[in-house]
Amino acid sequence: MNKYILTKRQVVNELSTFYSFLLGFLIALMIGSIILLIQDKNPFDTFSLMFKLSIGSVNSLSSSLNKATPLILAGLGIAIINTVKLWNIGAEGQIFMGAIAVNLIYINFQLTNSTSFIFVLLVSAFIGGAFCILIPAITKVLFGVNEIITTLLTNYIVIGLTIYLVNGPWKDPGSLNFPAAAYVGKEVYLPTIFGKLSYGFLICILFTVFAHYLKNSSVFGYEMRIAGGSEMTAIYAGINAKQKAFFAMLIGGGFAGLAGGVELLSQTHRVSTGISQGFGYTAIIVAAITGMRPIGIFLVGSLFGALSIGGSVIQTIGVSTYIADIIQASTLFGALVIQFFFNYKLKRADDG
Amino acid sequence: MNNKFLKTRNVTKTFGKLKALDDVNFNLYQGKIHGLLGENGAGKSSLMNILSGIYQPDKGSIYLDGEKQKILNPDFASKLGIGMVHQEFRLIESFSIKDNLTLSKSNIYKNDFLKSFKKYSEIFALNVNENEIISNLSVGEKQKIEIMKLIFNDSRIMLLDEPTAVLTPQETSQLKNSLVTLAQEDMKTIVLITHKLKEIKEFTEIVSVLKNGKMVAKDLPTKDVTDNQLIELMMGTVKTSTVNKDNEVGKIKLNVENINYTDSVNKIKKLEDINFQIKAGEILGLAGVSGNGQVELANIISGIERVYEGKIIIDNTDVSSKGVRSRKKLNLSYIPENRLGVGLAPGVSVIDNSIVKDYFHTKLGPHLSRNKTSNYLESLVKQFSIKAPNPKAEISTLSGGNMQKLLMGRELVGDPDVIIASQPTRGLDVNAVDAIHNLLIDQRNKGSAIFLISEDLDELFKLSNRLLVIFEGKIVKSFNTVDADINDVGLAMAGVNE
Repeated sequence: MNKYILTKRQVVNELSTFYSFLLGFLIALMIGSIILLIQDKNPFDTFSLMFKLSIGSVNSLSSSLNKATPLILAGLGIAIINTVKLWNIGAEGQIFMGAIAVNLIYINFQLTNSTSFIFVLLVSAFIGGAFCILIPAITKVLFGVNEIITTLLTNYIVIGLTIYLVNGPWKDPGSLNFPAAAYVGKEVYLPTIFGKLSYGFLICILFTVFAHYLKNSSVFGYEMRIAGGSEMTAIYAGINAKQKAFFAMLIGGGFAGLAGGVELLSQTHRVSTGISQGFGYTAIIVAAITGMRPIGIFLVGSLFGALSIGGSVIQTIGVSTYIADIIQASTLFGALVIQFFFNYKLKRADDG
Repeated sequence: MNNKFLKTRNVTKTFGKLKALDDVNFNLYQGKIHGLLGENGAGKSSLMNILSGIYQPDKGSIYLDGEKQKILNPDFASKLGIGMVHQEFRLIESFSIKDNLTLSKSNIYKNDFLKSFKKYSEIFALNVNENEIISNLSVGEKQKIEIMKLIFNDSRIMLLDEPTAVLTPQETSQLKNSLVTLAQEDMKTIVLITHKLKEIKEFTEIVSVLKNGKMVAKDLPTKDVTDNQLIELMMGTVKTSTVNKDNEVGKIKLNVENINYTDSVNKIKKLEDINFQIKAGEILGLAGVSGNGQVELANIISGIERVYEGKIIIDNTDVSSKGVRSRKKLNLSYIPENRLGVGLAPGVSVIDNSIVKDYFHTKLGPHLSRNKTSNYLESLVKQFSIKAPNPKAEISTLSGGNMQKLLMGRELVGDPDVIIASQPTRGLDVNAVDAIHNLLIDQRNKGSAIFLISEDLDELFKLSNRLLVIFEGKIVKSFNTVDADINDVGLAMAGVNE
């Protein structure tokens, strides 16, 4: 009986998530290097160019951070929902819904004070995202329908809705047949802090702090943790587990909706199918790598934003943009594998 | 009794430090119904799991028809003709009866399925179509299919683990008739694992008794033994250590009136006319074999289960329609039987689990102060000497004893008026048991009214002032612990009315 079994480690190093991220990232760079070598490209040159073009100057750095903003906001939303041990695969759809909500309010209401108008629009983005996850939240709480499936499916619905809107009612006659809604007015653009860096990034910092507080130090966060650990314990403690799950989902959806609103007001300035370039999916990777920690999501999200920018500029030397995607995905893969060995150890079945 | 069919010799099985089976010799005779009697944890299930190939014995051997056999796995056991019906059914819910019965490769009635299904349906008084989906069947019907599955797989030896636990009295007597027919007509060898004496007497011809992993009596002809003898064998001589019970008793703290409760899922009546009071400074024990309504009663008193008839009065306040929170505010503590899963949330840290009871008392607005919570845990750790080195570690990294101490400490801090302690020492080692007992006694001396639910008679006799016995959802007897005879309590637990 020389079987090996996995046993859970009694004590897991508190920094294990960080170490596994670092190791995962190294593994990802190695995988990226192999692919570059196959293509006769020098990995060192490529990576240093990516580095330079993504964080080497104020302009490139601000592009990277702007890119990171929706990733981080959506990732925070996923992390909040995961406090009750539920998965939000629908951040992509919620991002679109946030942007749609912004445009809906923008074309139907006018406020002369642009600051308060921007504020109203951002609030609508949040509500839009929350609205988008409403049906998955209701079906989860009332009937126990798997939220992974329902949130995933709402993505297709919302993206379908977006395509309908930008080809139909909202189609901009001036867009030369490109399917997009009309641009919003300059008065509601999110201003920049310096360089190209948008105020969206400041919102992102504020919400990171908020999410961190909510998850770790608020009574609501505590109740979410207990409800996520065991519904029976929650009932025993007098916590309404279903209610916590419901609100966690709405808040998390709102975060992703806000990401869409910020992206619209600071980057794209109009609704189109290009509002999100898979931010909602990459955000899942970001959240998972960090073990759902808001501060970690902020840092890894920033890095992934830089990677995307770096990836898009290395096309100039004939390297595919997808190298950045490969690195992001392999980081998750590597980090999860490494994390597994932090949590478990292999031992012989027969030594007790 | 010459037809010795299966025997085990010196079978020993240990789990960690625990000796589950110690040199067990066990015999089965062809065509007979055997009873295997023993308290929870006596080793009944371990022995059956060894016979059905789920466990391997550490030592000892098994002989079938005189030949030594090594039963390597359940598949092997079923080839030898040994099959088991577990307490949790192993049917595929979404398959039809026919598919479930013919699933196994050792099936012998593949070709004349309908004929044999009809024959056994008659024996089991089962009135359903063979194409019916399992999930549409009642619990009693599912069990019949489970037993039929053994027949269809050509099992000669049928091990039934607590088969009547899920049955109504009518179904139980029906089951008895079916088993007798199987034994007589098909020469099936049947083992009934139970702790209900009544069933041993009614169902079986031969009875063996396990106690603490040892076979204390084997091959007793059932008709020649009395209930008292069986209880004595099963319980042994209990060392009735006791604590001082002369402390001051105050006014009534918990009043439970006419509780009736029917399970909303399977419509089985779980509690019937439960009445009792507990005074300050008093420990009332509830003796009973698990599954006789204890969990339901504890849930009703603590406010977890809200749909029931009757009244719960804590300290003169009627809380019958109130929830968990308002009962906690009246200073009621509940130590649930299911430590990890109900009392403590798995996957959540030690510190989070330590404040489950009090977090909403100490909160400042929506903020949960980290200092306050860690001070709270620290004081628990000190006061109850809990070994929990890392507050952020997941709760299940603690040992069972420390988990229970954390849970008890959390619930006892702040001197509750009423304590419901359900199986507080189950599965703990001797030192932890002592520590937990001392905690309860301290609390009693401070004037708590304690409702102690346990199946450990030692514990009940040691701690409680009075004892109630619950059987099938009814309080069948009450005792004054000082002058109660432990065997009488055992008989009442086993459902024997004199």
